[in-house]
Amino acid sequence: MTAFLEVLNLGLTLDGREILHGISCSVPRGECLGVIGPNGAGKSSLLRCLGQVHRRYSGDVLLEGASLRSLSGKQIARRIAWVPQGGTDSLPFTVRQFALMSRYPWKEPFRGETTEDVRIVSRALRLAGMEPFAERPMDLLSGGERQRALIAAALAQEADILFLDEPTSFLDYRHQVETVELIGRIIRDEGRTVLLITHDINLALQCSDRILALKGGRALLQGRRDDFLNEELLSSIFETRFSFVPVPGGALPHAVPRGDFR
Amino acid sequence: MRRLVLPGLLVFSLVTLIVCPLVGPHTLSLDGLRGVGNDARIFWELRLPRVLLAWITGATLSLCGMVYQAIFRNPLASPDMLGVSTGAAFGAVLAIRLGVTFTLFGIIPGISAAAFIGAVAATAVISAVGTLRRGGMSEASLLLGGVAVSFLFGSLNMILQYGGGYVDTFRMMRWSMGGIQAVGFVPVLAAFPALAVIFVTALAFAPELDLFTCGENIAAARGVSVLRLRRLLFLAVSVSVGMNVALCGPIGFVGLLGPHICRMLCGGGHRRLTWSSTLFGGGFLAVCDTIARTLWAPAEIPVGILTSCLGALFFLWLLMRRQAPS
Repeated sequence: MTAFLEVLNLGLTLDGREILHGISCSVPRGECLGVIGPNGAGKSSLLRCLGQVHRRYSGDVLLEGASLRSLSGKQIARRIAWVPQGGTDSLPFTVRQFALMSRYPWKEPFRGETTEDVRIVSRALRLAGMEPFAERPMDLLSGGERQRALIAAALAQEADILFLDEPTSFLDYRHQVETVELIGRIIRDEGRTVLLITHDINLALQCSDRILALKGGRALLQGRRDDFLNEELLSSIFETRFSFVPVPGGALPHAVPRGDFR
Repeated sequence: MRRLVLPGLLVFSLVTLIVCPLVGPHTLSLDGLRGVGNDARIFWELRLPRVLLAWITGATLSLCGMVYQAIFRNPLASPDMLGVSTGAAFGAVLAIRLGVTFTLFGIIPGISAAAFIGAVAATAVISAVGTLRRGGMSEASLLLGGVAVSFLFGSLNMILQYGGGYVDTFRMMRWSMGGIQAVGFVPVLAAFPALAVIFVTALAFAPELDLFTCGENIAAARGVSVLRLRRLLFLAVSVSVGMNVALCGPIGFVGLLGPHICRMLCGGGHRRLTWSSTLFGGGFLAVCDTIARTLWAPAEIPVGILTSCLGALFFLWLLMRRQAPS
């Protein structure tokens, strides 16, 4: 396994509080690493360090063997595209305008968009199934459409690596399934490397080749996807009892949290 | 429809620049403008410079408001709210209190120089508060810092006014109301650099301003160095505001109103918004100033009162019209 993206002993301390501690992991090119863990485990902080938004981390992040530390924001954005959590903030642009703004890291100063930019954006919109919505205002999209528009915009950034932060939270079933299918296409057909952050173990199982489990800012376990098909393991990560239920016709069983429900 | 907005605003601006100098208590005859008589002197030395100064001021404040609103992601952010205007007012008020009479380089009045220093001081305090905080300044903390500094200088102003004599206090109050005054083209030339600074900045950073509008996270994800660029833009805007307020005093609500109306007319993209805010803000203040000097002629209303009144009413309308966030 040749490491494409490699994290070496990464730590982060903010306001005297240790957020991340000694995290190491690696992602081969064209694979998906799922990062799971309960709320507050440090998943989003890890993503922010890898994307160089927090730059005051200890340890190192290597991309093809070279440290990301010395790169400028634009240089990072050419390698890493980031889909932030959906959110409800107003985005006063149409879907196409918003996706065109993703071409920023490749833009020359004082230049408008090129025909190349327009072509790349159209392709990204088509891939995400957002072409019919291209001229709609972002603010009038439903949650599922908005998530796909955010993913399309990140694709238009043409980076090798895609960070997805809780891509299916707040989506209904249909849009969850569509988003998972889209992530699959991005990895399989586009050959992009994906880092998927989620607290949804089933999403991580469906999409990932490898999984990293975080808890309390530390790496609890890292391994192949199938290593996580283990009820005891999930119970200790999420501090909730889990059972695996077989899915008819599907290869992967479904993880169900157990509680004292009626 | 939207393609007509920029040409429309260009026509609006040009018409104001041509018509406004012709309007006034003294009716000018077009033949008189070519000669050397009274009509020509009123037109070339009083009215045209004044209209041009009003236009430049309106365009500058409108652009400054546009950049503030983008970097703070707040529709209320504007030059008169963020402490810079109040800081400039403090400088001017202090100069009046101390009886400053010198003129810098023979053309810049001491009060203007003092006002500019006040604006720079306010900017420095706000930036220092934001920078000294570890982890850089967030949108909200910088905005609140600006409001706090505005109140601080506002109270200092009141102390000086309270302690001043009748004449001084009146001059201080009159300065704080803002007004366009120009005899000859020197003030027009003095006002131009502020417009040039903010216009070039806004146009050069239009893509970054677009991304700022989408929030810190998305801007950072696309490769914008959010903290550094916000500080840079904040300084550029504040210097422009300071240069302008030093000349004309604080003229309220133009910086708030202009970009808002333009955003409704031509959308959120900052390349077009830069052009439209310039043209609209310029034309709007030129018209307001013409109304201010003709409505109760020969007496004058300070144009700041007029714009604040119109702006406040417009803002109430905007608040009522705005849909509740989903």
